[in-house]
Amino acid sequence: MADHIVRSFDRDLESLRSSIAAMGGIAEKQLSDAVAALVRRAASLAQAVIAVAASLDGLQREIEEQAVMTIARRQPLAMDLREVVSAIRISGDIERIGDMSKNCGKRVLAIADGFQAQRIVVGVQSIADLVMDQLKVVLDAYAQHDLDKALDVWNRDGAIDALYTSLFRELLTYMMEDPRNISFCAHLLFVAKNVERIGDHTTNIAETIHYLVTGRNLTAERPKDDRTTHPEQAG
Amino acid sequence: MSAGLATPVPSGRAADESAPSRIAVRRLDFYYGDAHALKGIELDFRDRHVTALIGPSGCGKSTLLRCFNRIYSLYPDQRATGEINIDGRNILSDDVDVNELRARIGMVFQKPTPFPMSIYDNVAFGMRLNERLSRADTDARVESALRKAALWDEVKDKLARSGTGLSGGQQQRLCIARAVAQNPEVILFDEPTSALDPISTGKIEELIEQLRSEFTIAIVTHNMQQAARISQYTAFMYLGEVVEFGPTGGIFMNPAKKQTHDYVTGRFG
Repeated sequence: MADHIVRSFDRDLESLRSSIAAMGGIAEKQLSDAVAALVRRAASLAQAVIAVAASLDGLQREIEEQAVMTIARRQPLAMDLREVVSAIRISGDIERIGDMSKNCGKRVLAIADGFQAQRIVVGVQSIADLVMDQLKVVLDAYAQHDLDKALDVWNRDGAIDALYTSLFRELLTYMMEDPRNISFCAHLLFVAKNVERIGDHTTNIAETIHYLVTGRNLTAERPKDDRTTHPEQAG
Repeated sequence: MSAGLATPVPSGRAADESAPSRIAVRRLDFYYGDAHALKGIELDFRDRHVTALIGPSGCGKSTLLRCFNRIYSLYPDQRATGEINIDGRNILSDDVDVNELRARIGMVFQKPTPFPMSIYDNVAFGMRLNERLSRADTDARVESALRKAALWDEVKDKLARSGTGLSGGQQQRLCIARAVAQNPEVILFDEPTSALDPISTGKIEELIEQLRSEFTIAIVTHNMQQAARISQYTAFMYLGEVVEFGPTGGIFMNPAKKQTHDYVTGRFG
């Protein structure tokens, strides 16, 4: 797209985009560290995961301030206005992703001392792998304004929900097998739920990218396959 | 999966697609001597809607407005071909009485143009030309017009003072009152606030929103945000042609044409 006549306007928008990219990079690493901390039961890594959330909070506030200033100074229209609104929305989603990774870190600290069979953790790791991939792809889609990639992310969320449902059942089984597993599995369930919610935020970002690129909101119901709230299927 | 179009009109009242067309411009060409200034214009101005005309200087916006009341016919080498149908009648045809036409089509210019006479006489001027009214009827029409122009409270005690002594914003509202006093069907605004401060601009914008309930309004503006605020339909013109025309929300949030997008986002040039 051609540059603005006022070149500092381009720099304002570029600065917003690069701040989002920076937030995205931090959030990706934070999530992968949270999962690594869980798999290795590494308390120090979990603490680092917890600490990093504050920097995402700070970046989100900065992006919001930049965006508000851009609206006030430039009165953006059309694609420019969508760019600014999208930056506000996406930074909010990434900040929430940071909070959820932080919560995963806290859960890891809570279960770090008790030894449990690694096979129980593997299910959480596989759902996290899927979500990390979604997060990476959606951040790429944002950077490249790639609608197809964004829609791929949006359509794949059903698979994460389905995996979460099956993990939920598996953890219930472990808990029923041996009551000593209950505390560990309950924490693990929260970790899985946090990861699944991060997946939801990646689809929010995909929806924002759709709006950014096309000027239209995605209005269709997103594919959902989380059946854990249906009692007859959850057990 | 389906994507719904969600482009609400930003101004207070939405575009009503069922409103009838009050002014239908068809195949309109305009020439300043040999210069072809408007090329095949097709536009509909809906009844009781504000239609904004935007575009860079020299694109033909003001020329188009000048066609609606045939001001151009004062100049021998300027001519228009095609049709401008107002209420179904082509006002470009020779048998139209231009004086009557100009009473039906009010016009407000960029620079306030009060006549060097009293506030009262400024407003009564047009109706005295075209109608024979009793003093009482004239008084009533002047008051009503000044009220509609949101100026009455500020001038009711000094109607005999000169119109040129008012502030710029008041002068512009006086000109709007002068147009409104003739009970026109259409009011044309040619950059009505470009010489005014933000407070006066706000008053004029508020006024246009109110006048919309009675009149069909066309406004030429270089202020994109103003067009987005006060109009329901917007036409983007470039080099004498209408590039894009549609509900204002769409033009400013999600324009279909690249040229429109580049212009409204400040990438033109």
